[in-house]
Amino acid sequence: MKVCLLYEDRERADAEPYYDTKSIVQDLGLNTLFLASAKELTYENGELKKLEAADPYLIETLGNIMMVPLASQEEIRFRQDVVADSLKAPDMVRGLYRISTDTLNRWNELGRGIRARLRQGSPVTKLTTEIRVLHLLCDALAEIRGLMEQQENLSSRGFLAFREEFYRAFSKEREEIVRKILADISFYTDGLDQKDEGRDQLVRPRIVFECGLEDGLKLGSLKLREVSSQSTKFLRRGSTREKIQKFLESHIPDSFSVVEDERIREQTQTLEYGVVSYLVKRLKWFQDEFQTFFDQLKLQSAFYLSAVQMVQQIKRLGMGWCYPEVCDRRDLEFEELKEVVMGIEQRVNVIGNTCSLPDKDLLIVTGANQGGKSTFLRSIGIAQVMMQCGLPVTAKSFKSGIFPRIFVHFTRREDSEMNSGRLDEELNRMNGIVEHIGDGSLILLNESFATTTEKEGSVIAYDIIRALKEAGVRILTVTHLLSFAKRVYEESKDRPEAGVEFLSAERLPDGRRTYRMIRGEPELTSFGLDLYDQIVGKARIK
Amino acid sequence: MSEEIKTTTEEFSVLNLYPKEYEAEENEAFFRDLNLTQIIDRITAQWGKGVRKYYMYLPDDAREGEYRRAVYGDIRKEAVYDALIAFTKRQEDIAQLRGKRGNTSHPLQKAVWELCEEEAYGDAYEELAKSLSRVELSSAGMRQFLRILTEFLGSEQFNKFREQARVILGELRKMRFVVTYEKDRMSIELREEQGDGEYEEWLDSFDARADMRLLNPFGEDSAITELEQACLEIIESKKKKLFRALWSVAEQERNYINPVLSRFEQEVIFYLSYATLQRDTEREGFPFATPDTSGKGRMEAGGLYDLALALVSIPEGRKVIPNDFYYGEGDRFFVLTGPNQGGKTTFARSLGQLVYLTRMGLDVPAESASVPYFPKIQTHFSVEESVETGRGKLMEELVRLAPMMEDHKRGSFVVINELFTTAANYDAQIMGKRVLEHFLELGCMGIYVTHIKELAEGRDGVVSLRAMLNDSGYQTFEIRRAEAEDVACAANQVNKYRLTYDQLKERL
Repeated sequence: MKVCLLYEDRERADAEPYYDTKSIVQDLGLNTLFLASAKELTYENGELKKLEAADPYLIETLGNIMMVPLASQEEIRFRQDVVADSLKAPDMVRGLYRISTDTLNRWNELGRGIRARLRQGSPVTKLTTEIRVLHLLCDALAEIRGLMEQQENLSSRGFLAFREEFYRAFSKEREEIVRKILADISFYTDGLDQKDEGRDQLVRPRIVFECGLEDGLKLGSLKLREVSSQSTKFLRRGSTREKIQKFLESHIPDSFSVVEDERIREQTQTLEYGVVSYLVKRLKWFQDEFQTFFDQLKLQSAFYLSAVQMVQQIKRLGMGWCYPEVCDRRDLEFEELKEVVMGIEQRVNVIGNTCSLPDKDLLIVTGANQGGKSTFLRSIGIAQVMMQCGLPVTAKSFKSGIFPRIFVHFTRREDSEMNSGRLDEELNRMNGIVEHIGDGSLILLNESFATTTEKEGSVIAYDIIRALKEAGVRILTVTHLLSFAKRVYEESKDRPEAGVEFLSAERLPDGRRTYRMIRGEPELTSFGLDLYDQIVGKARIK
Repeated sequence: MSEEIKTTTEEFSVLNLYPKEYEAEENEAFFRDLNLTQIIDRITAQWGKGVRKYYMYLPDDAREGEYRRAVYGDIRKEAVYDALIAFTKRQEDIAQLRGKRGNTSHPLQKAVWELCEEEAYGDAYEELAKSLSRVELSSAGMRQFLRILTEFLGSEQFNKFREQARVILGELRKMRFVVTYEKDRMSIELREEQGDGEYEEWLDSFDARADMRLLNPFGEDSAITELEQACLEIIESKKKKLFRALWSVAEQERNYINPVLSRFEQEVIFYLSYATLQRDTEREGFPFATPDTSGKGRMEAGGLYDLALALVSIPEGRKVIPNDFYYGEGDRFFVLTGPNQGGKTTFARSLGQLVYLTRMGLDVPAESASVPYFPKIQTHFSVEESVETGRGKLMEELVRLAPMMEDHKRGSFVVINELFTTAANYDAQIMGKRVLEHFLELGCMGIYVTHIKELAEGRDGVVSLRAMLNDSGYQTFEIRRAEAEDVACAANQVNKYRLTYDQLKERL
């Protein structure tokens, strides 16, 4: 059966991940978010008890799922609803994750997958293992059913459909069938781990079949009439009671003993093996039904468990959150949007920004250094990525279009010396991005082309951004390239149809920064002098 | 060839006018030179080694070739082809049963396999006779075969055995019994009618997949196990009459195989194998034609291609360029010149293949063809890069050449590819002229591929052909009647490797 908690109609994404996800994760600082969401917060009497260690599987899974965008408002709503249910019933989500993880671990111990194929087990070992797996699956599924039966407040289409499909795939009737067959063939595995000594019961098979003769005079075209396991009293070999029983049995007409002749005894074992493996094979529908179920359940419940834990973290920091809304691609509107990664890293509630950018496809942010421009850009990028995977965002409200292609082009600050190799690297990255531009592209540029002179960089930026804009790409850029910004400003200032907006980091008359972005004409200075004074000046005084 | 050939039943062969013993030996050079070996290898890979020998010998004379051509015409008919393919499939089953019979030492099992074999043999031939009699057969060979077959199917011997097999097998197959295994014993109870398997039905009620039935739980091995033997003994005690009949089959010598039919089974594969190759190749868009052999000495074809080349090109999706040619009144020899890699050898081969396949009575890889009768095919291809010195190689060439020029090889079709390449140009020119003159004197026809353009000049009966280049100097693989000319090889090579200035500019 399909789990279908991530997508309503399928298990896997049919969209491609974003291009260069490594850069997206790195430039938006998403690893911090993955890590925080992989930790369980437990409270006792309203106090944080302790922070569990991060679950590496959760980190990996959230990272993977977040990097594949959903394609429509419908898909986003679907996941948001499942997230909402998960927040209402965190124990259920945790339970599903735990059961599937445990089951897979034990299944792997029994030699699932590649290991099973490599292992040189005899056919008999393989068969008994298969039977153990059936028991394992049956028990795990029964536990899941118990868990689902306790849920009374589910309202998301995802969980309701999951429960309904689960009840169909593992109906009581089906469970009964599987358990009956397992009981019928229990003679094959029963007592496998026990020694004969000290046992008073022996489980022995009763197998009745109708058959005919094949052309080679071999028994063929079997039809089973009965297979069962019968408990009989264990009689010691050579005891009087055993002898009496043997004598009585030998008088059954048209019969022969299968234990006296060594070859016949072996062949009878082959028959037992054949019947048992046949019955296990007849449970193939059951195995098929749940072949990938636990993998998918583990994966998909991991995502929602991460969502639950992420929201817990956000709440702990006192940040507000909401489910974003999808709107036209040319619009972007938000209230009190906060950069969640920074909040988690610094363990504080950060300053939010409110902005309305209707009908714009190029946003240029300029202004004071250390004024929160990059943070502002990142907060939009993070929210956009979170929205596109169905997660809530840290804002009072957030409205944006869907961009199946998100690109980041951030200057890498760590080694910001100016040389041609750096520009080359930047242009190379841009070349990679341009190759992947397509319908619904959003690009975040952070101090791009600042690795060359302001003049050259401006020309490069102007040409590239103009081309991208003409190709219908939505561009959000933070830049120090003031000649570039000025030029765009001059060209578009009385033309609202150009779809360009300018913001700058607010700077109070006394030079203090508010970390808020305000509308405004780009100035020719980025107040680097302030910073210079702040740092160099102080150093001088020192 | 409408005249019926009267041979006695024992002398019937679908391949030859009189039965011939074949030894699988590849003794003529032309098989390799013309790449016929590649074609035959491919056929052998699909049909087994047994068919190879039939491709290795040309029919004795023109009459035998026409006998085959008529048979092949019948076999190309959809209904006949399908019936024979079905028939060969059944032959495989029979061979399998024969193998099983040979492998067992259990007398009753042996007897049952023998009965099954007789049954399958009878069914296969009966089915074939039925299918063939629904078709209008036009060849003498196939008509006589059907006559012999019908006679055999009506014979008393055949029907007696067949009826016996039918009765015994029928009874064995309908027998059903119930086996109960519990408490270390197995008991058996015979049933008159097929009963049900409650457990099986319960399994089917939630999962009806017949393909995973438990058929033989006692191992895949066809030997009767001790356990089954124990069951059989109980069954035998219940079905005494049936088992007595089986024992009597076991003790009897039953020879039901007809040797004339056996020969047919073998020989018909020759036609079937080629017909299958032809169908497969046609499906890829390559035409075949039945050559016209009635014209007096006329030799020409349209859309002729190298079949061996086509077979290797199909999986790679490469194109094969067909060519037209004709020998006009008095034309005896083509002298073919032109650039390397221009399709010269391929064209020469395709001519040789055309003559060979026509001689064999088969269809040819062309849109149309007219081919006279040539008693022999002779080829001389230069052996590829050997370590021998120039003189050694010339010697080796002459040694191979000499027997081709013997008087009794009169009227052969001759394909010569690059003679005397190691000799001095002047010598090569003289020797080449002599060779050509000699073959002309012997009344041979053929093609001579060479670099020596002088060979193509001014001689009665010799036609100059050239492998053509297009305006930009690329090979077109077209062969046309044209004057021989010197070729600028170097520019051509440069072009081929896209190393001209313009090309490099474009690439870099």
